Amino acid sequence: MASGTSQFTSLFDNALLNQIERMRLRPIRRLTNRSRGEHLSGKGGSSTDFADYRDYAAGDDLRYVDWNIFARLRRPYIKQFQHEEEMHVVLLVDASTSMLFEDKLLRARQAAAAFGIMGLLNVERVSAYAIHSQPEKPWMFPPGAGRTRIRQLLAFMEQLEGGGNVPIEKAIETMLRFHRGRGVAIIISDFLTFGDISRPMNMLYSSGLEVWGLQILAESEINPNVQGDLRFVDSETQETLDITNASELLNVYNDQRLWLQSQLDSMCRSRQGRFLSASSGSSIQSILFDQLCRQGWILR
Amino acid sequence: MRWPSFVNLFGAWFFLALIPLIILYFLKLRRPKMEVPSLVLWQSVVNDQRVNSPFQKFRRNLLLLLQIILLCLLVLALMQPFLSADAEVAQYMPVLIDCSASMAATDEITGKSRLELVKEQVREQIESLSGDQKMSLFSFSATGRRLTDFTSDRRQLLKALELLEPSDLPGQLDDVLRMAAAYTRTFPIETVTIMTDGNLPDQVDFELPFSLDVRRVDAGGPNVGITEMSARRSGPQEWEVFVRVSGSSVDLRGAELKFFENNVETNTQPIEVSNEEAERLVFPVSSAEARLLEARLIPTGFDSMAVDNSVWLTLPAARPLKVWTSPKLASWRHAIRVLSNIEQEDGTDEQPKGSDYDLIISDAANLGGAIAPVQVFVGVIPDDLKTMIEVKEDVDYVVDWNRTAPFLRHVQLADLEIGEQPRLASGLSAKELEELGYEVLVDGKAGPLLLQRREGLSVSYWFTFHTDRSTLPYRVGFPIIAANAVESALKQASLSEVSAAPTGVLPVISVEADRSYTIKTPDGQQIPATSTPAGTLSGIPAAKVGRYDILDGNDVATSVGTGLLNTTESSLKAVEAMRFTELTVAAEKSDKIDSDQPLWWTLALLAFGVMLFEWWYFQRARGAAA
Repeated sequence: MASGTSQFTSLFDNALLNQIERMRLRPIRRLTNRSRGEHLSGKGGSSTDFADYRDYAAGDDLRYVDWNIFARLRRPYIKQFQHEEEMHVVLLVDASTSMLFEDKLLRARQAAAAFGIMGLLNVERVSAYAIHSQPEKPWMFPPGAGRTRIRQLLAFMEQLEGGGNVPIEKAIETMLRFHRGRGVAIIISDFLTFGDISRPMNMLYSSGLEVWGLQILAESEINPNVQGDLRFVDSETQETLDITNASELLNVYNDQRLWLQSQLDSMCRSRQGRFLSASSGSSIQSILFDQLCRQGWILR
Repeated sequence: MRWPSFVNLFGAWFFLALIPLIILYFLKLRRPKMEVPSLVLWQSVVNDQRVNSPFQKFRRNLLLLLQIILLCLLVLALMQPFLSADAEVAQYMPVLIDCSASMAATDEITGKSRLELVKEQVREQIESLSGDQKMSLFSFSATGRRLTDFTSDRRQLLKALELLEPSDLPGQLDDVLRMAAAYTRTFPIETVTIMTDGNLPDQVDFELPFSLDVRRVDAGGPNVGITEMSARRSGPQEWEVFVRVSGSSVDLRGAELKFFENNVETNTQPIEVSNEEAERLVFPVSSAEARLLEARLIPTGFDSMAVDNSVWLTLPAARPLKVWTSPKLASWRHAIRVLSNIEQEDGTDEQPKGSDYDLIISDAANLGGAIAPVQVFVGVIPDDLKTMIEVKEDVDYVVDWNRTAPFLRHVQLADLEIGEQPRLASGLSAKELEELGYEVLVDGKAGPLLLQRREGLSVSYWFTFHTDRSTLPYRVGFPIIAANAVESALKQASLSEVSAAPTGVLPVISVEADRSYTIKTPDGQQIPATSTPAGTLSGIPAAKVGRYDILDGNDVATSVGTGLLNTTESSLKAVEAMRFTELTVAAEKSDKIDSDQPLWWTLALLAFGVMLFEWWYFQRARGAAA
């Protein structure tokens, strides 16, 4: 990534930022707030997008009567237009110690910043939370909308530091205590937790949030290069696990990794969400323009 | 299924070494630490059922398991397990090993001799001796020899076994079986094992006090050998030497027979023989002096046994037969005189003047100290038979005679009239005479008319009637009897026929009386011997085929030679069964003796394999980690 005073942010170069600014999120459901926004949210709105007709009722605004129909049928029909409502984009970035390996946290910050910019430029309310060492007090970027918040969001993401051992399920529950509003919850984490993640997923869903899970794994987690007898130390808990003949277990390890990903994918899909696993070794361009676009997360 | 037993059960204590091994393993196990983002996935791996399957568990501690297996194998080997061959294992095991000449027969392909194969089998049996088993080794050829006492000392047994060499003697079982039988009085011997090639007499005059386990090896290739060598005088200085060569194979085998006189080659004959077709060759020899002859066989192809390829024969110097005949026996003197090459004393002395004669014909028992290998007494009753035989004045005639006796060969005694009648005392029979060493050659009406007695190498004939008082001198048979006596004397003096001496004991050698000699054997040994007052050397052992020099100081007084000269040994044939007095024992071909099968070396080999695998696995793991 290019650096220097001419760059708008240290997370991306300006060219990539320009590309991101032309992209928008593509939620599966239209979980919006009643406040006006730019997301079409059903009939009865005042956008220019036609939705349906209905019989005229007393008190209706005569401006919406379709006079062409009235001329043919001699009966008044009201044209209905789609609502343009505001969607809430919640970004939850896992900044625990496990994300400090290789470029996991960097990719998480870049992805979160990209999602945030897309939301803000599409007049959505964007908020961000970062998990760190204090589970009850997450770093928070308060909800807000408007292009003017882009710099603040980027600054928040740039200043995000890793550390701590708060599990992702606990972080989601904490985040939900602060959050209000429907929309999309984008959780960027490695999802490596011993806890049960289905409960916070249910809480997200019941809060009116689509659950988008973006798993960032290091290359050493996807293809571990380990051999012989080893004692693994957990970076967060410092717990140890003795492994004998690790190279012989790589097949089982990969099976377990894929099983975890399929579980997370299934969990997200069953809650009208999405899941994608990406490598921290991949560039952010590849993640955004290749993987996320192809998966239909964002529109270019 | 047979379960192994253990010789050294105390070795099981070494299993306790497993405890420090396991402790040391876990103390020494230092794993390199590696920080990972999270243990979630690895914990899942460990929890996976596949990882915790027995096989995976085994792999996790493979090095420890290999070390445990290695230690267990070593301890088991130390306990010396063995598979028992029989529930009733004999505690005392006498093993009789055939060391006869045929055991030197080598196999054409492997090049191993029969004795080497037998030694391999016995060595295996010695190695498998269990703690309470004792073995005694015997070797036998013409005689038996005990090599070791009953012992469980493997080193002693193996040492005695290694020293065994095939002899140049034919195989005989009687002697060694008697030795083994003597041990049955001291030790509870149930079975005696005989390791042989089966080239033994099929009849053994022995009553077995134990069961016999005859193990036979059949290895050996084709063999060609000299089985007979003899000479017959064909003139005053002429000899015809006969050599018989036999083969052991079905097909004809070629060879070249070289003939040496006093170490100078004089003749060579090519021959072809098989087991069905032997060849008999005749070599003329002309010599008045004593000669040492050698027949040497040089096979053209592979020859399994070399010991039967050389035979020596000593021809005596030509001389007339020395005969003394009593002057009163004019008929005998006349009959002898007409025979050729005879030196007969014609004096009138009642007793011989000299001391050594080849033939003495006397009418008195007292010969004045003279001796001869053949003696004929006419009208004399032996002193020890005087109480048993009495001569009466009566007419007698021949009732029967032994027509096959050499002395009476071609003699017709029917209608012979005798003016005396020797009578055997009443109540006595020929059996009593035989007990005293006399054989009746001619029976009269009341008693024996002619007796024969053998004493060592000499033979004496006793006419109990005086031939002059019979019609015998007028009969055609009388000169024949005289000629037969001369012929017998010629044979005794080796003047008409001589045969090569087989190994065992050297033939009687004529030398100067009462002198010390040294006999140099073919293998370089020197045996001191002293001649008898009669001037003979006898009883000299001759275990090896070859030339024996009789040294008088540093000078060679004479030389004699021996040969194997045994058709059975040269044929390499094996008997299928041996008939004992009341029993027939089969000689089974066996490549292996039924013995306890030791397992310690198998375990040691496995331990070595495990050690190599562990080393490889350890190095592989280190290499991978590096």
